[in-house]
Amino acid sequence: MNGSDSEHVVETGHLTKIYQNRHIALNDVSLTIEPGCVLGLLGPNGAGKTTFLRLILGLHRPTAGWVKVFGKPMTPNSAAHRRRIGYIPTNPQFPKGMTPITYLDYMGRLFGLPINIRKPRFAALIRAVDLLSHAGADIGQFSPGMTGRLAVAASLINEPELLIWDEPTHGLDIEARRSMLELIKTLAHEKSLIISSHNLSDVDEVCNHAAVLSQGQLIFQGSLQDLKGRIRKNHYELDLEGDQKAISKAVQALKGNTDIKQAMLRQRRLEILLNEENINTGILAKIFNILNENKVTLVSVRSVGQQTEQAYLDLVEKEESRGFTRLYQPAEAA
Amino acid sequence: MDAAVVAPIRYSRWLPYWAVLRTDIRQTLRSWVYRLWVVVTILAAGGFLLYRFGVHREAGIVQPSAVHTSDLIRVIALGSLALIVVLSVSAISSEKGTLADSVLSRGISRYQYFMAKWHARTLVVIATFSTMSLILLVAFHFLLADDLTFRGSMAGVMTLSAMLAAVVAIGVTVGAVANSTVVGITILWIFLYGTGILMTLLPNTFPTPEKMLSRLPNVLRGSYDLMSLSDWVAGGAIVAIVAGVFGMLVFSRKDV
Repeated sequence: MNGSDSEHVVETGHLTKIYQNRHIALNDVSLTIEPGCVLGLLGPNGAGKTTFLRLILGLHRPTAGWVKVFGKPMTPNSAAHRRRIGYIPTNPQFPKGMTPITYLDYMGRLFGLPINIRKPRFAALIRAVDLLSHAGADIGQFSPGMTGRLAVAASLINEPELLIWDEPTHGLDIEARRSMLELIKTLAHEKSLIISSHNLSDVDEVCNHAAVLSQGQLIFQGSLQDLKGRIRKNHYELDLEGDQKAISKAVQALKGNTDIKQAMLRQRRLEILLNEENINTGILAKIFNILNENKVTLVSVRSVGQQTEQAYLDLVEKEESRGFTRLYQPAEAA
Repeated sequence: MDAAVVAPIRYSRWLPYWAVLRTDIRQTLRSWVYRLWVVVTILAAGGFLLYRFGVHREAGIVQPSAVHTSDLIRVIALGSLALIVVLSVSAISSEKGTLADSVLSRGISRYQYFMAKWHARTLVVIATFSTMSLILLVAFHFLLADDLTFRGSMAGVMTLSAMLAAVVAIGVTVGAVANSTVVGITILWIFLYGTGILMTLLPNTFPTPEKMLSRLPNVLRGSYDLMSLSDWVAGGAIVAIVAGVFGMLVFSRKDV
């Protein structure tokens, strides 16, 4: 995601936000987002994710550093820049006494869209987010799922080039969450997205880049593959089926193998940690052979270390363990 | 076949301002503070009017309209101040957080947002106060001894409206600068009381709102100095504009 001659969608330099000289929310964050990027913004609670998004939108002013959106500085009065952005806050709230029609019309007006564009567009969006039957209902009575869908429609009414969605799957049921992820995948073909999320499996599914914030600092920025590539690749979980005695016998045989660092059986789930010196495919072949000899059936095999969640946790843990050396060694970001 | 040429969208620069203005007027008219203000004023004015009408008609004591109307309008203006303070301070401060995010993250500048809120609250307060005052003037004109003049009534209402406009502008500004509505209301009350106390210390020749209110019966009778009233209206407008511009500049540099 680093520099090229093309216009960056978002670019920040040494971005720092200190609230009332009491709380350092963001510390020296330099990051670039190029067109077509679907960035997953990760970090524990209080890491500075929402502050970062608010600074990009010009809702907050940086204490130090700068933000450029589409190559131009973003300020609280940059209305023209914000016409190119669609935003969903966490837990979106709406003015009282409005219906989806009046609310989306209001949003369209806020973007300065003329009536001949605004009206057909919000009508299409209401249909698309499946609120047609509730188009005249009071949005104050909406469920979290309906609220989320309306917020999606509001963020798309200006046909933005950049979407900034702060925890878009927060509070949604399984079906609504699935629809949201599918929508993000579809939008990713033509727009740049910044998705802030606690749910790492969501990020894993829809994002192609990740940025990790920890205690206000950017500790990683790069592709999702880079993030996953930082972690160990020799940790597997196998779900087994067969006679319990046969499984135990197979596990005993595995424990005797020097290539296997650890083999732990929990009921019918076998957790295996391999030695990192040898190539894992050869060792896995041996494991499958031992299971076959003991007539144990393999139900599923999962690489634990390859999960984004594990990569993220390793990264945060590593950053925290650096202690005071953080002052001298720059983070692995950018 | 040639690809369809997509015409660039012609954004309407002031549409966001009108959208916030319209929405805010609508929501203010629906708010409990506004409804309480109107209901209490109507009940109080109705009671006062009936009482004076009874004294005038049944007891046969002549009740001059100008004196009683000015008394009532003065009480309404001062009595309404508590609710006008709440209405003006809450314009921006009550929308801080996610609700403001959902508006200010769109294609509207801080300047437009502030102006829309300021103008909406000023319009609602002045229109409501003027309407109620004019209804009272008409009622007093017909029910009590008639010594009111049309020009005097208009001049009196306009002067009081200018003073209220200044209070609204200061209130919206305080609401934009303060971190919460309660803090904003407290600051505005301290400011209003403080200004009132300071004005009592001024020389007698200096025009103060209190002196203007004491001259209101004469103004309603039509005996007033046009220049002096124009100064009052201009003074109110200048205070409102200065407060509004200051609030706009501060709000445009503030986190929401």
